[in-house]
Order: sequence, then structure tokens, then C-alpha cells
Amino acid sequence: MKPILRVRDLEKVFWVNKRRQGILGSALSLVAPQMEKVTAVSQVNFSLEPGEMVGYLGPNGAGKSTTIKILTGLLVPSGGEVEASGFVPWKQRQAYVAHIGAVFGQRTTLWWDLPVIDSFELLQAMYSIPAERFRRNLREFTEMLEMERFINTPVRSLSLGQRMRADLCAALLHEPPLVFLDEPTIGLDVVAKERIRQFIQKIHQERGTTIILTTHDLSDVEKLCSRVLILDQGQLLYDGSLSALSQRFDGRRLLAVTLANPAEQITLEGVEIVSRDGPRVTFSLDGHTHDPAALIQTLLARYPVTDLEVRRPELEVTIRRIYEEKLLQPAGQA
Amino acid sequence: MRSLTLYRRLLSIQLRSQMQYRMSFLMDVLSTGLLNGTYFFSVALVLNRFGGVVGWTVGEVAFLVGVAEIAFGLTDMIFSGFDADTFSPMVRQGQFDQLLLRPVNITVQVLGSSFLLRRLGRILQGVIILAYGLWMTPVVWTAAKSLYLPVVIASQVVLMGAIFIFGTTLTFWTIERVEAVNILTYGGVEMMGYPMDIYSKGMRRFFTYVVPFIFMNYYPALYFLGKTDPFGFPAAAPFFAPLVAAAGMGLALWFWRWGITHYQSTGS
Repeated sequence: MKPILRVRDLEKVFWVNKRRQGILGSALSLVAPQMEKVTAVSQVNFSLEPGEMVGYLGPNGAGKSTTIKILTGLLVPSGGEVEASGFVPWKQRQAYVAHIGAVFGQRTTLWWDLPVIDSFELLQAMYSIPAERFRRNLREFTEMLEMERFINTPVRSLSLGQRMRADLCAALLHEPPLVFLDEPTIGLDVVAKERIRQFIQKIHQERGTTIILTTHDLSDVEKLCSRVLILDQGQLLYDGSLSALSQRFDGRRLLAVTLANPAEQITLEGVEIVSRDGPRVTFSLDGHTHDPAALIQTLLARYPVTDLEVRRPELEVTIRRIYEEKLLQPAGQA
Repeated sequence: MRSLTLYRRLLSIQLRSQMQYRMSFLMDVLSTGLLNGTYFFSVALVLNRFGGVVGWTVGEVAFLVGVAEIAFGLTDMIFSGFDADTFSPMVRQGQFDQLLLRPVNITVQVLGSSFLLRRLGRILQGVIILAYGLWMTPVVWTAAKSLYLPVVIASQVVLMGAIFIFGTTLTFWTIERVEAVNILTYGGVEMMGYPMDIYSKGMRRFFTYVVPFIFMNYYPALYFLGKTDPFGFPAAAPFFAPLVAAAGMGLALWFWRWGITHYQSTGS
């Protein structure tokens, strides 16, 4: 299948005015500015098949928003090529944006003083959405996002969660095949986050929408994306499945067992006990050298057990280790 | 065509939300309309004692002031989306990006983002001053004159609008230099309220060849009031206004588009 989004050798360089020290320095900066080159994004390559949902991850300042701004046509890159839904985003911006949806969690696209429904109707006019299709989508999204209660409320009076739901709806009413979601769950409580995740999942599955999701909340990515792109210091470090990532960088497993007999002594060859609390024993094992399934079989054969649990380390810990310990090298240099 | 329909819809939103506070709106319009008008009439009182200024009667000066005030009130109302003071925060807080994400002409969207109906006050003030001027110094109306007056006002609106757009575009580069533009807008309308004869040669040259305000209000007024041209311009000079306006707007829109290109390459 032809990719819906193709990014090749993307590069973005900013020139920033380097401030000099002191009064004389700042006067000098005004007359003869010393420009400093800052590379925000470099050598980024990837492509998306229609219907994919990928997580775009990276620490603050990694170049995520720069990339998203380029891909949505807001920013012109310094080098490289992008083809999205058959458009070059920054060259054909006005035509292109009719074919994408974008939600920037920190901002709203809705009209502050208008009831939510009025904003939707304005967007209908702006995107020239046929009346029948608009009604159908609005009905469906209103139900899925439970917006009946606040659809006639002015946007300024909405809670953050309500506003975010309305913004998601606004970005999807024209049925874009390609959608950019930048921090769509930021600042929300657990329930609101979950509701938004379920909605994204449903849109992705039922409509085959291609979605790029940037987020700080890795549980968003864990629940929604099978593929992740990891960016750090402007370079793409990883492009692949989430499970392969945690397998590769954190093979450790925690095995917690509750013994039927609290007094029983228990040992497993080559496996370390990290804690023992009465009948509850926790082992730590390396998934690369031990086969967890075989170990569990041995354990069950030897000891009567009432409860058993295998835990993976948190994804968040893994990702943080990747950034901090520089476990990954930019693709193409490794 | 689609842009025009959208502009009308954006306008109706603006009007609806501004009419929510009807009473305060009316008070505002009336107070700016009547109170600011008194300023002119106190000046007029003084001028009257001297029988006018540089060969212009008080009624004729009132004509200049009235037309310029009406036009500027309209500009401020229609082009308030291009007010640099509100546009600059819009860019910094990312609202401008939101506009760029919509498949609608960006100029139409910015124009539709604000419409200060309250400026009716200033327009009302202009109407009162103009009416006073016409009462003091009756114009000999011909069909051509009555058709040309709205054209003159529209031309002033378009040229001032162009200066608004120019000033707003500058905010893509800097916030500090915008004050200079305010001198042209708020200063320009004050300047146009007086006969050009009172200004020094250098000033007059500036307002003829650099920012050609002289053709926007002064020369048309000579035509309406049947006065002779002291500066020896071609007889067609009173009719330059629409041309100057079109050229100014063309230039401003070109600069505006260039500014957006710059914004899209720096992101700031």
C-alpha cells in the first residue's frame, strides 16, 4: 500500500540571537546580533501506512512539536521531504489542512464565547462538510464523547476534559484520514483520560484513521499504539513496536508468589529473591537468560501456591533509562 | 465567494457576542460619540473667533475632520483583527497557528476574528462634525460629488486598513517597532483633519510622496468645497484617492503574505 505519510531526511534549523552579557553586550546584540544555529530536527525518516496509529515520544525539547508543526504545514523545514496525503504540507497548506485533523491539547480551536454547537457549525462551513455527513458525524461523536450535557454551553465555561472532548470532535467532523494528536490527555484525570483513549481507539478501529499521537503519558501509548517513534535531541532513535522495545531494554521480570504454607522455605536455581513478606515471595529474573514460563512450571510443581503474578517493569522507567543512559543511537549511525 | 460567506458568518458571531451587553454597548457608543465630539467643538469655538485658519473657514475644517473621523472609525471597526496590540499576543499564544490549520484564507480569518462595533461611537462623532461643517459651509452638491463622497471615505478606510495590516505584519519580526505605525494611524487621522497648508514643506512632501495622505482627504475636500489648489497638482489630484488606496492595500497584502512566509520558516 502507498504510505499516507512519508518523511525523508527531515531537518529544521533555527537561528537564534545569542544574547551577550551586560549592558554593553545587549546594546551590541541589538546592532550586530550574533546568530547561533540550533538544530531542532535532523535526519528524521519514517513513513506511515494508512490506518496505522503511532506514538511519537521524546523528552521536552526533543523536536516533537517542531516535527508536528512541519507535518501540519505550520512550519517550513530547512531540508528534507514530506509527502502527506499527496500534499507537500507547507507548500499547499490551505488545501492540505482540509485533509487532516489536529488537536493541540494546550490550545483550543473552538470559539471561546460561542456554544460548542455553534463552533461545530462554523467548522462545517469552513470545511464544506455536506449537511447529511455533518449530522451523522455529530450525532455519533456526541454520543461517543458524551457531549449532550454541554453542547449548548459556551466554550469558556467548559471543564478541561469537556473542552478536550469538544476539540477532538471538532478535529474529526470532516473525517480526515490523517490526524495529529498533540498531548490530547494533558492535565486530565484518570477517568477523563480513559474516555478519550477509548474514543481515539474507536475512531482508529472503525474508521481506519491514521493517527500520530504525541504524549507525555506513556500509558496513552501503551494502550493505543503498537508502534512508537522515539525522538531525542532532534534525531530519531527508535522506530518499532513497543513490546520489542521493552523486551530489548528491560528483560527483567518480577515474579510474585503467594505460598499456601507461609512457613515454607523456597528457592529457585539462579533466581534472586528480592523480598519476602510472610507467604508472599518476590523473585527478580532476567527474561533473556531465564524462560519465565519454564520457571513457573518448576515452581508450581514443587510448591503449593495460592496466587502468582508476573510483572514487567513500567514502560516509563524503560523509556527514561533510554534517554538518560543513552541506550539508543540515532538510526543510521548505530 | 466562499470566503465572503464565511466572513459574513464570522462577523455575525462577533456582532452577536458584542450585543450581549446591549446597555453598556449603547452607553459606550453614545459617550464616545458625544463626549469626544465636544473636543472638536471647543476647538471650533476658538477657530471661529479668528474666522478660520489659513484661508479655511471653520465649516470647511469641520468637513475635513468629519470625513477623516468617519473613515477612521470605520477602519478601526472593520480592521480591528489587524490591530497589532491584539494580533501579537494571538501569535505568541498559538491562536494564529489554529487559524493556519483551517482551510480558509488566512486574511479572511484574521479580518473576521474581530469587529469592533463600539467604533460606531467614533463614526457617530464624525457624522455630527461633518453635518456641522455642511451646515456652516454648504457644499454645492452635484451628482458626481454625491457619488464620490462614499468613494473617498472607502478609499481612506482601505488605505488606513493597509497601514493596520502593515503594522501587524511587523509583529512577526518585532514588537517594539509597532509604535511607529501608530503614529501613522492615530497620528494620520489627526493630521488629515487640518488643511495641508498649515504644515511645513518637509512634512507636506512626506505626506505626498512617502505616505500620500494628501490625496486621501485634503484634495478631495478641495473638490467638494470648490477651493483652488495652492500646490499646483494636476486637476485630477482629487481623484487619486482610490488609486492610492488600491496601491497601498496591494503593497500591504504582499508584505503580509511575505510576513507569514517568514513566520512559517522561523516559527516565532
